[in-house]
Amino acid sequence: MKIRTIALNTFTGFLHTKVIVVAGLVFALFVLMGTVSVLTFRSKPEYLGSLLHDIAATSMALSAFGSLLAAFAAADAVSAEMKSGTVLAVMARPLRRWQFLAGKYCGVLLLMLAYTVAMLGAGLFLYRLAGLPFRTPWGILIVYPLVRYEVWAAIAMFLVTFLHPVVTMAIVAVIIAVIRIMVSPGAANYPGWIRVPLHVILPFTTSVLSEDRFFSMTRESLHRYPWTYHITALAYGLDYAFVCFLLAVVVFHYRNLSSD
Amino acid sequence: MISTSPQKEDQVVPAIEFARVSKTYQRRLRRPRVAALSEISFEVARGEICGFLGPNGAGKTTSMNVLMGFVYADQGRSRVLNYAPGDVRAKERIGFVPENFAFYRHLDAAHLLEFHLRLSGRRVTDPGALIAGLLAQVKLDGYKGLKIGKYSRGMVQRVGIAQALLGDPELLVLDEPTSGLDPAGRKDVRDLILALKAAGKTIFLSSHILSEVEHVCDRVIIINRGRVVREGALHEILDDGDRVEILVDQLPETVEQAVRQMGASVDRQPSRVRIVADTNQKRRLAEMLWTGGCDLISLAPMKSSLEEMFLKLVGGSSAE
Repeated sequence: MKIRTIALNTFTGFLHTKVIVVAGLVFALFVLMGTVSVLTFRSKPEYLGSLLHDIAATSMALSAFGSLLAAFAAADAVSAEMKSGTVLAVMARPLRRWQFLAGKYCGVLLLMLAYTVAMLGAGLFLYRLAGLPFRTPWGILIVYPLVRYEVWAAIAMFLVTFLHPVVTMAIVAVIIAVIRIMVSPGAANYPGWIRVPLHVILPFTTSVLSEDRFFSMTRESLHRYPWTYHITALAYGLDYAFVCFLLAVVVFHYRNLSSD
Repeated sequence: MISTSPQKEDQVVPAIEFARVSKTYQRRLRRPRVAALSEISFEVARGEICGFLGPNGAGKTTSMNVLMGFVYADQGRSRVLNYAPGDVRAKERIGFVPENFAFYRHLDAAHLLEFHLRLSGRRVTDPGALIAGLLAQVKLDGYKGLKIGKYSRGMVQRVGIAQALLGDPELLVLDEPTSGLDPAGRKDVRDLILALKAAGKTIFLSSHILSEVEHVCDRVIIINRGRVVREGALHEILDDGDRVEILVDQLPETVEQAVRQMGASVDRQPSRVRIVADTNQKRRLAEMLWTGGCDLISLAPMKSSLEEMFLKLVGGSSAE
């Protein structure tokens, strides 16, 4: 009940922040770019490849932006409370620190659920506009990005419990860049003592939890991925997010809530 | 709004106990450590209004933060309502007003109180009526729908006081509750505090407005540089003990000379004369004044004001 109260308040709080307005504008910009491309190529069958590429690029851009938004929202949800001092009035209530953090985390997940649904809606819109069939099951396109956002939100929440939010976002950006490098073909040339620890420590959400590869797949193609594959991939993400959230709870439990 | 529910706890146990509590803040970038509290010890009994005074940077807010479980003490033992600070069972029975009450800008007062009521875990049959009653009590009932972000500083402080009363707390911890309030608002809060005391609540109050503390508090604790410099019942602290103040309507010169020879001081004021003398001289002095033709207006033990006492104890010290 208390966690739900904080989660709903966090979610409605997000809807009143300027950052969400900016995020909405960026989202609309990506969709607009995709729309322009679709309107340009849709009546030209010879450009079907470009059309599919542009729709996939739009979806990937929206999806990647979502990861940053999840990290930012999680960092902001905690740091804004600390900075403004609202955390003191809230924590004066019969509330445990982990409950406060769990409420904040759930609020971020609500926001990201709304974002994921909007992202799915944008994808559907572009496919319909292009006159292409949309065959991927919706569940996959909701659950995969949502779990990925859970991971980034948990990482940011852990970092922001002891770091400034700007430093937190810088570290998140560095982690994303390192992962991009490690999944590139050239990464195979790096020595094992670099690759192995990074594969263990960093969340390889771009490969394991990416929903992009399921776009436009037929149900038959999807059968190449047995349910155990999905369970393993999602469990990896949930486990990573859970560990990061637990670390956040531990650090938040022992930190001072006020510097006065 | 204020209930006088029976308290199950043993009344002998103090509401607040601090025993040799120390807290040092570690500043970043190799700056020196700042000792906010140095082995501070005090108790607040149940049912009393205790003023917590000190100059800026004395450690008042840190003490309150330790008490509420926001900050962990480095050493010492602290208990609130017989629980460790931050214990949910204690917080269920505490109402807290932070020094600068912060709020969610997207909510109006009623929704903010509803949010806090849900977090308080208090079950009420009609939450709307409770919230409306509290808003009326702090005189904010005419601002329905107005976001708190548009409130004045004093109005925000009133919301802070209202949220502290939501859970029908047994102990109220008020950190500068009247800051930002106008004189009428301060009087309202003073009356509210006295009403809460009458209902058996314990109040731990930090304030810079010493006249206010003098009006409402039973006891005061004065701290300076993280240490308790004086504590006790207000009447004991303010009682000068060995001197009396005599007010007379007029004082002939011949009598004044005799009075001065007795070691008393004379202060001629526009409509009366104020004489301050040792207590053991009071009978002789009164007889002399009476026989000298002076009309005694009053004769009372001398008391210093809290402000005088405070300044004597802490001087002009401030960490700011």
